[in-house]
Amino acid sequence: MKKKSIGQFLSGSREASLVIVLVVLLIVVGVINPSFLSFTNIRQIFLNNTLTFIMALGMLCVMLTAGIDISITSTLAFAGMSIGMLQKYDVIHNTFLLFVIGALIGIVCGFLNGIIIAKGNVAPIICTMGFMYIWRGMAYVISNNNWASGMDVAGFSDFGKDGAPGPYIILIVAYVVFFVVMKWTRFGRRIYAVGSNTEAARVSGINVDRTLTSVYTIMGFLAGLSGVLSVSIYASAQPNMQYGKEMDVIAACVIGGVSMNGGRGSVAGTFLGALIIGIISKALPMVNIPNFWQNLIKGVIILAVVILNVVTQRTMDRQNLLRREM
Amino acid sequence: MAGKSGREISAVPASGIKGKLLSWEGALILILIGVNILGVAISPNYNVSNVLREMPRYLAEIFMMFGMGYILVLGDIDISVGALVCLAGTITVLSSNAGAPFGLAVVICLAVGLLGGMLNGFIATRFTELPTMIVTLGTQIIFRGIAEVLFETWGNGGGTASMADTKGLMLLAKKIGPFPIAFFCVIIVGVVMITVLSKTTFGRKLYAIGSNKTAAYYAGVKVEKIRFICYSLLGFLAGVCALFLLTATFGSNTTTGQGFEMEVIAMCVFGGIATTGGKGNLIGGFIAAFIIVCLRIALGQRNINTQIILVIIGLMLIISVLVPSISSAITARKKKAQT
Repeated sequence: MKKKSIGQFLSGSREASLVIVLVVLLIVVGVINPSFLSFTNIRQIFLNNTLTFIMALGMLCVMLTAGIDISITSTLAFAGMSIGMLQKYDVIHNTFLLFVIGALIGIVCGFLNGIIIAKGNVAPIICTMGFMYIWRGMAYVISNNNWASGMDVAGFSDFGKDGAPGPYIILIVAYVVFFVVMKWTRFGRRIYAVGSNTEAARVSGINVDRTLTSVYTIMGFLAGLSGVLSVSIYASAQPNMQYGKEMDVIAACVIGGVSMNGGRGSVAGTFLGALIIGIISKALPMVNIPNFWQNLIKGVIILAVVILNVVTQRTMDRQNLLRREM
Repeated sequence: MAGKSGREISAVPASGIKGKLLSWEGALILILIGVNILGVAISPNYNVSNVLREMPRYLAEIFMMFGMGYILVLGDIDISVGALVCLAGTITVLSSNAGAPFGLAVVICLAVGLLGGMLNGFIATRFTELPTMIVTLGTQIIFRGIAEVLFETWGNGGGTASMADTKGLMLLAKKIGPFPIAFFCVIIVGVVMITVLSKTTFGRKLYAIGSNKTAAYYAGVKVEKIRFICYSLLGFLAGVCALFLLTATFGSNTTTGQGFEMEVIAMCVFGGIATTGGKGNLIGGFIAAFIIVCLRIALGQRNINTQIILVIIGLMLIISVLVPSISSAITARKKKAQT
């Protein structure tokens, strides 16, 4: 048998091609502006995109089941606003307790999504769109249009300030846990099974409804956690925080090779996708491209990546057919 | 009877579906009346002339609702229209400020919308493997990205621009009797779009594609051509929306149109159009749009924390999509009890 050519290897493994894109990106930016590759800078890329990184994990699970969750940033705002208000009115100042409360709020929000999608047979995009409005509105309502300033969250923001280890630890733990869970546990494989073929999964005895509910609950948990982190990192809580950023999270997953039709995607790919998005936004100002080009370039890259993926898939299919003909 | 997988195998008689749809639209009209009663009850200023005066700034979105209805009936989705409104509005304002006469500016506005829609349609029909959500997610970021670049390179920067010559816009913002021009335009566009969808072969083909794309293709429906037309149409309507939005705001900024796409989809879904395609009609969406507009105006007049409307819209959305599955669950239980 013929050995796999490099082209086939690359199109076969999404992660490999992403790594190459990443390396090329780093080399180009690094040559133009060597300070980009400094430790502080790379650390800041992770800090600035912690929320995208963390929520992309949940989005990976959701998209593996062929769903989507656009309510995440609203959940984030609701959880973040809640803990912001708790501090503003001097109810709770204990960092750990605030994290627990934020995560719990997220879990409740996610569970509601999951139960309605699984039991009510509602299209995920519609259900989560409804909650997108509800939680965003609730964030305004509970805060009565106020916001918690840096002064209000003074002690708490130490956890996420530039240089503190907190966010990195959470990030690393989250990725390690998800990597293990998605690859080697029964629960992780069930998610893949449900996404690849729901009917087959049901027939083979997987409780599809429970899997779906838990997937959205996990997403909610991560969104709640991100809400708390967001308040800590940016040292403020506003009702409109991270508005529209759910699309960044989805884009990170898509670049990372997660299929919207379910069943395809990996934790490593998600990580690389989120990293590429983070690097683009950080690198542009450093290679003398003004910041306002950011969105345009990001959009073009997203489209280019997904279209390229389709094209390589097509050529691969055609080659396979040709080989069969012989 | 429900099969092993819980899937309903037996076909539902046509009259049943029709009856359900009719009753849903009836319910929507009742809700619309209820919202208006609520408005009168909570605000002394809630009357016909005030509502009509505040309406234009909300009417603009309804144009896109019709186009989005077509896309949803196809089983597709387009989340780029909010950004397209921003782009069309921005280019219009900037070109008008650069000296283009109003007529030309209007043409530019509509052309930008149409081109944006055609771009969506081109990618969606050439690369059919891609979910349309991804395609329009990409173009959404691109459209707003172009607008951001234009503000900085062509405009005065700062991510905002206001129209210097507002004479033409004032003309469009005029009223005929008590009704603003936008109101008539919405009605005309609405009647045309509703009739095309329900009475012409073109409209019926949309349902065929939405129900089963492969079957429609083999039945001789030019699936990709029709999808392209629908995307272009929605883009054009986004241009119309941008134009009428300008008559209320007289300017554009980087956040113009943010969230419009979701609101428009919410109107459609609340009106009974299923995002899975092939179901629903635009009349429901039309009524639903006016429910949301009236609710906005009523709450706005009362100076209630306007963001509470988000909670109400969200709740309405979720309840409205839960109604079919709840009712089917109830009938399933009844059937079980009978056997």
